[in-house]
Amino acid sequence: MTQTAAGWSLPLPAHDSLGSFYWRGAAEGVLLIQRCSACGLYIHYPRPVCRACLSRELSPTPVSGQGTLHSFTVMMQVFHPFFTDRLPYVVASVELPEQERLRVLANVVDCPVEEVRVGMPVEVTFRQLTPELTIPQFRPRPGWDGSTDAEAGR
Amino acid sequence: MSQTRVAVVGVGYSTVGRKTTLTWQDLVIEAVSAALDDSGLRPADIDGMTTMGGSVLSDAAMLGIGPLSWFDQDDFGPAFIQPAAQAVAAIQAGQCHTCIAVRVIKKGTFAPAVQSNPLSADGRVGGDLQFCVPYGIGGPWWAALMARRHMVEYGTTEEQFGAHVMAQRRFAALNEDALLRSEISLDEYMASRYICTPIRLLDCDYPCDAGAAVIFTTEERAADLAQRPVFVESYALSASGEPSFENLPDLTNQSPLHSAELLWSRTDLKPQDVDCAQLYDGFTIITFEWLEALGFCNRGEAGAFVEAGNTGLGGSLPVNTDGGACNVGRRHGANFCIEATRQLRHECGSRQVPSAEVALWANAVGFFSGAMLLTRG
Repeated sequence: MTQTAAGWSLPLPAHDSLGSFYWRGAAEGVLLIQRCSACGLYIHYPRPVCRACLSRELSPTPVSGQGTLHSFTVMMQVFHPFFTDRLPYVVASVELPEQERLRVLANVVDCPVEEVRVGMPVEVTFRQLTPELTIPQFRPRPGWDGSTDAEAGR
Repeated sequence: MSQTRVAVVGVGYSTVGRKTTLTWQDLVIEAVSAALDDSGLRPADIDGMTTMGGSVLSDAAMLGIGPLSWFDQDDFGPAFIQPAAQAVAAIQAGQCHTCIAVRVIKKGTFAPAVQSNPLSADGRVGGDLQFCVPYGIGGPWWAALMARRHMVEYGTTEEQFGAHVMAQRRFAALNEDALLRSEISLDEYMASRYICTPIRLLDCDYPCDAGAAVIFTTEERAADLAQRPVFVESYALSASGEPSFENLPDLTNQSPLHSAELLWSRTDLKPQDVDCAQLYDGFTIITFEWLEALGFCNRGEAGAFVEAGNTGLGGSLPVNTDGGACNVGRRHGANFCIEATRQLRHECGSRQVPSAEVALWANAVGFFSGAMLLTRG
């Protein structure tokens, strides 16, 4: 548990869970996604078995760190006091190029909230949230021209 | 259907309020008593009980219901369609003849979280939730992801969300049992505060304390009871994909599409036969998804369908005629089953859909959902 100035603490990820590799990777500056060694399927959130082939041989695998913003919301109300001083902030679903519909959650950083757009190209960056926890975050990819909602229409 | 025909024969609510002093047991007692009174049945006439919330076996014993030959309690399913579907299926299968389905909910108290999301003893968060909490999630953030994606893919607008909020509030104004009844304008909607964009406070259902109960029985037994029966024409449950709203393969619609496909495959009725629809409105985007999934409009066209006035009183498909959970309070879909039944009994007064013969109600969204089609007996 990490105290904020106001005395509130953010629940930190559990020790030794199926997802612990994700945070260890982030601390080392690597975005790791669980992958099936037998069939190659990427799996997120991590699971104890591959849903495609039922293999139990799964391992954290580095990915490119590139992504596309699939959807997002701007949080305007605080639901945990740890985030009080951070409003407004973006919670986004980022689609990774390694596999269709493979997505991770992140905040969009290094970008004014009002400029965030669905479809914007993003890349991973790693930020220390608390002294104990570094998390993957995403920021606009260099060269993004600020264009809007590129994926409109099916 | 070749199975036993099942009827809704009794519906009832507890006292409902934003902050009542009622216990869980009080809510169950009041709701079950109201449904029994409505039907003319006595506790000993009931041989099946299904619940979401409460405690099925103690609640049945407490009320003198039984002996039970069927019971089920679910704490993480697609809201009231879960106990309702279990009740109907059990009667069709001959496991019981008269089953009461109950939903009891206290303001701000949710069913236990998904099993894979435990907070461990040291206050740390495991399971899938560990990938969300560090990013400051909260409230309807996942529904906001769905709504934003729907806007981008289909051109849905915030004004269209507002049109839905206004339309169902107009129904609430006609419903004495609704908690929020004053009409709202589009300007008021657009001025209401965001919780997490594009979702505003007025897009959210209204947490309350509420118990609700619905009694199902066979067609044969329904013939002698107090109310004109309403028949279950078709129903469906669906679970589709991983149990996380934010990680759906298709954020704009998932299991409602599957529920709808199953529902229509089990009846000769068509969407155009439906006189009114009661579609889950935990957040506005959910109602939009159901309108599209059920074929009342095409994918992506719910916003325009609503904005054109189709879902209001006198529209081609009145929707959420009790005012919806945004206005009658979050009763987790039980209100939609009860309102559909009351519309088909023609007892809804100034909000009655004239000559309603077919009504549909639908629950939940994302990876789990369900729907039921009812007809006037």
